[in-house]
Amino acid sequence: MDAILQIIITGLTLGAMYALASVGLALTYGTMGMFNMAHGVFMTVGAYSAYAAVAYFGLAFPVALVTGLAAGAAIGAVTHLLVVRHMLKTEGFEINIIVATAGVAILSEDLILKIFGAYPFRQPLQLDGTFRVGGLAVTYQSVGILAAAAALVGVMTWILTQTRFGLAIRATAMNREAAMLMGVKADQIYLQVLVIAGLLAAAAGIMISSLATLSPQMGANPLLRAFVICVVAGLGSVTGAGFAAIALGLFEAAIQYYYGVRYGFPLMLALVIIVLIWKPAGLFGQQDVIRS
Amino acid sequence: MSRFDELQKHLLYALLLFVLMAILPLFVTQRYLLGEVITFMLWVSVALQWNVLMGHAGVFSLGQMLFFVSGSYTVAMLGSYLGVSPWLSIPLGAAVAAVAALVIGVACLRLAPAYVALLTFAIGFMILTLIISESECYITTGGNCLTFWGGTNGFSQFPDFGFRQWLRGSWLLGNYFTVLGAFIVSLVSSIVVIHGRLGLAFRAMSDSATYAASRGINRTKFQITAFVITAFFTGMTGGVHAAHFRFAGPSLLELSTMMFILAMVIVGGLKSTWGPVLGGVFMMILLEVAKSFGEVRNTLIGLVLVGFVLLLPKGVAGAGSSILAALGRSKKMQNTAGEEHDRQAQNA
Repeated sequence: MDAILQIIITGLTLGAMYALASVGLALTYGTMGMFNMAHGVFMTVGAYSAYAAVAYFGLAFPVALVTGLAAGAAIGAVTHLLVVRHMLKTEGFEINIIVATAGVAILSEDLILKIFGAYPFRQPLQLDGTFRVGGLAVTYQSVGILAAAAALVGVMTWILTQTRFGLAIRATAMNREAAMLMGVKADQIYLQVLVIAGLLAAAAGIMISSLATLSPQMGANPLLRAFVICVVAGLGSVTGAGFAAIALGLFEAAIQYYYGVRYGFPLMLALVIIVLIWKPAGLFGQQDVIRS
Repeated sequence: MSRFDELQKHLLYALLLFVLMAILPLFVTQRYLLGEVITFMLWVSVALQWNVLMGHAGVFSLGQMLFFVSGSYTVAMLGSYLGVSPWLSIPLGAAVAAVAALVIGVACLRLAPAYVALLTFAIGFMILTLIISESECYITTGGNCLTFWGGTNGFSQFPDFGFRQWLRGSWLLGNYFTVLGAFIVSLVSSIVVIHGRLGLAFRAMSDSATYAASRGINRTKFQITAFVITAFFTGMTGGVHAAHFRFAGPSLLELSTMMFILAMVIVGGLKSTWGPVLGGVFMMILLEVAKSFGEVRNTLIGLVLVGFVLLLPKGVAGAGSSILAALGRSKKMQNTAGEEHDRQAQNA
């Protein structure tokens, strides 16, 4: 019983972080058909900015949190203005954008390494202490992560489904030209989408670094999970990504508990490939897959 | 008919390059430079295969280093554990890579391009994590623990080509010509695929996917074929790389190695035949010059990738041919303008 409870708590914490990481990725793919290889670096930037705000400037916890999120949003905007904007609607966009964002990723990762070095700093944004549920010690940190992730994903869902702004995003995703004819400024929507994705990634980065440590490559692992989650959910499906993240988080926690940390990701990947053989467009995907 | 001419023309160029590279050691005698040329040929060989796959077959695979590593590790592990000579294990490594490609290809290539990119990337990363995180010692030598897959340090000091015994001081030349052989094999195979029947099918599919499919061209089947062929030669290159450097380790699977080769492909230009060679020359010289400015390798690779995709999406080869085309067009326009003039003169 304790084992199952433990798996559920770890799995939900993992799932919540994965959800934050993958929802932004799914949103970018859904609206612009762009696969963002730099999404992992957005996480790293958010985590390091929050760290720097505390370690170098001695800012208070909430201010540092906001700084981290703002940094994530900023790098999203910069990526759009310097790179993505010039490539939209060019030939071979789908593949070229993967190459370009991969370039942004390796470039930014190297810059972070140059600025902060490779030392594994501890993320100062942490909630200390534990409380007991049954026979289990639960950290406040896990609860904080769950609450923050739920709040952010909730707000995102509300924006997407209930506001005019969300309507504009969904309209652009469905049909860019038609949306523009209705007066939606598509270019501006793309910028806003990348800002939101950057912000969510930064939140995920801060959480992930609070459980492990900071490192310039810290974005790689969660990015891979986010990729896999988005693929299994069907690229572009935002709600699907949320559900798939929680499910895969629980699955990974169970595998880690019974077989060891090493096999968590490989078995998750194997499961995903099996799902894709059965449903090539992913579980929630609607887009047609070219079959021959 | 013209297809064969095209194929023969490129094969002739390949022969020329082979002769040039073969007489190069007469002029380049410095060990360091010769070593750099060897490195160049190895990476360009990988880039050539990647270009076939990405530029021509339309498979956006990010798992090429996985096939490279299949070859390297086969050579390294057979050499370390059983003392097998690389001459035997290189073909075996290539076969291992081809089998891996067949399995991954059957599982993934049915999907849309972005899915293929992500899954191949994820599989490569997974293998890297599995190699690094292994903790059980397989053999212990002198207090050093060696895990079965080599762990973070990988394998070193296993048997190489054996030129040290035959050629003594000039063993590097032996390695040079072995690598040159592998490079030319890889180059010729890429030319044959691009300008042969397989390439024709790919051109048909990229011109009109629907029409090609309705004429009975099976996209997945052709793509898996290309995937396996390129993996075979990538794996062969990996094996040669391992035997030359006497090293194989997880650093080969790291993102920066892959990005370096991807930059060669992108700089050279997708959809070209000779792009990777040009891109390889560009990247090797650029990074060699940059060495004197400190640790800027990854920054530069990132800048080059972003810059070329933004400014020269067709790469050096594409830019060259579009300049030639533009020149040709302006000449033609002058001609038509001339004819127009003649006609007007006649009317008058």
